[in-house]
Amino acid sequence: MQEKSTTKLKKGLELALFFLLLIVLWQVLYLLFVDVFKVWKPYSAPSPAGVWSTFVNLLKSGVLLSALLKSLGRGGAGFALSVFAGLILGVLIHHFPYLNRNLKPVIMGMQTLPSICWVPFAILWFGLNNSAILFVVVMGSAFSVALAVDDGIKSVPPLYIKAAKTMGAGQRDLYLKVILPACVPSFIAALKQGWSFAWRALMSGEVMSSTVGLGQTLIIGRDMADINQVMLVMLVIIAAGVLIDKCIFTALENRVLRKRGLM
Amino acid sequence: MLELKHVGKTYPHTVKRTLKDINLTIEEGEFICIVGPSGCGKTTLLNLVAGLEEPTKGEIFLDGVPVKGPGADRVVMFQEAALYPWLNVMDNVMLGMEFLGIPKEERKSRALKYLKMVHLSQFTEYPIHQLSGGMRQRVALARALSMDSKILLMDEPFSALDKQTTNMLRGELEQIWMKDHSKTILFVTHSAEEAVYFADRIVVLSENPGQIKEIIPCDLKRPRQIDDEAFVHLRHMLLESVKKEVVKFAREEYDEA
Repeated sequence: MQEKSTTKLKKGLELALFFLLLIVLWQVLYLLFVDVFKVWKPYSAPSPAGVWSTFVNLLKSGVLLSALLKSLGRGGAGFALSVFAGLILGVLIHHFPYLNRNLKPVIMGMQTLPSICWVPFAILWFGLNNSAILFVVVMGSAFSVALAVDDGIKSVPPLYIKAAKTMGAGQRDLYLKVILPACVPSFIAALKQGWSFAWRALMSGEVMSSTVGLGQTLIIGRDMADINQVMLVMLVIIAAGVLIDKCIFTALENRVLRKRGLM
Repeated sequence: MLELKHVGKTYPHTVKRTLKDINLTIEEGEFICIVGPSGCGKTTLLNLVAGLEEPTKGEIFLDGVPVKGPGADRVVMFQEAALYPWLNVMDNVMLGMEFLGIPKEERKSRALKYLKMVHLSQFTEYPIHQLSGGMRQRVALARALSMDSKILLMDEPFSALDKQTTNMLRGELEQIWMKDHSKTILFVTHSAEEAVYFADRIVVLSENPGQIKEIIPCDLKRPRQIDDEAFVHLRHMLLESVKKEVVKFAREEYDEA
């Protein structure tokens, strides 16, 4: 136990040092190319210090926090919707061979469409508002959830189902007490994948429309030609996406896998 | 009473007939072992009785009622334990009874009773992945017994275990079966020793097509000693019978070309 926590600490320290190194490198490059060689214009090159001061300013004015919360709320709502739709769609395409043969290829096709391609459609349908963004999020991630659910059910060991049947399990018991719990690890993997798609789709939607959110803050940065703000918002988008994945989905996944002795 | 009447099984896309014209009547409380060369359809026969597969010819009757699909009156114990990793030992044993709609209190007390019988009453809270292969198979045995089915179908349940564990489990199964003699057991094995150890009658299957070659009655006194002269003799006889089949099959399969 003691050893485990020290290696964890070591790894964390290593990672922190690596990030520090990146920032130092970034600052050195900035100084070289902007101040010494004067190849880059100061307004087109973000600097660590500039990003930091933008961060402090936006934090003080409350813009950053409200944008972040808005985006997270919207992402959460869209994600919940697409999980709901994806679950139903996934169970349907698994259960009915007709849908599996015909609808599944369509869903796979939809899945290849980058979510930003849904934006014009959404704007024409809903206007430049929240619903349009939610629509893009759902379209961007529900299909991946559906496909993962179908895969998850398919990968339940046949022996689990055989054993349950010979113990007299009816269809209801079979689904609720055997197939569903057996699928939990792949469902979590589906959620994880769904979230990463949803978060990306959300940003596509927010960049294009004009409601408060990280995407809009990014676009304001562009409009004001403030490269530091653009850079900062990009970093915040990455950090939020990764944090949610690590703190919620990966943590959940680890717990389930450990309980089942799979890691 | 379990009756198999002219039961045959052919799989589509294969020329080989897996099972042909199996006629067998098994009385209540009988311990029947099925032996035969590998690939002769032992497991298929068991699956047919379990209702996991359907015969392409003939019918199977349990107490006069035709077998249609799997059911809790014919619980199967597989080669692998088939336990559910999201449940602990106790919950795994209780799940089968839950399907039967048995109330919770009774599920608990029955599960405990059978877990004691297989010497696992100290492990009720354990997750499955922390159990050894032998312990898992004992949990599966407890689960199968707790369902109190008319017939217990066993598909080489001890074949993946080490010698010591196998011997111990054999003893446990025999004792449980001898206690009330009311449970019919259909036991598939490739071990002649195991067949002679358990069976009232041994059904020897031949291969390609799989059919009943002979039925060897086995009335040695129980509990049986594997080094007893009569035991050794019977085991030898059985081995010879199966071996002839294997040689015959190998000749047909490999020499014809």
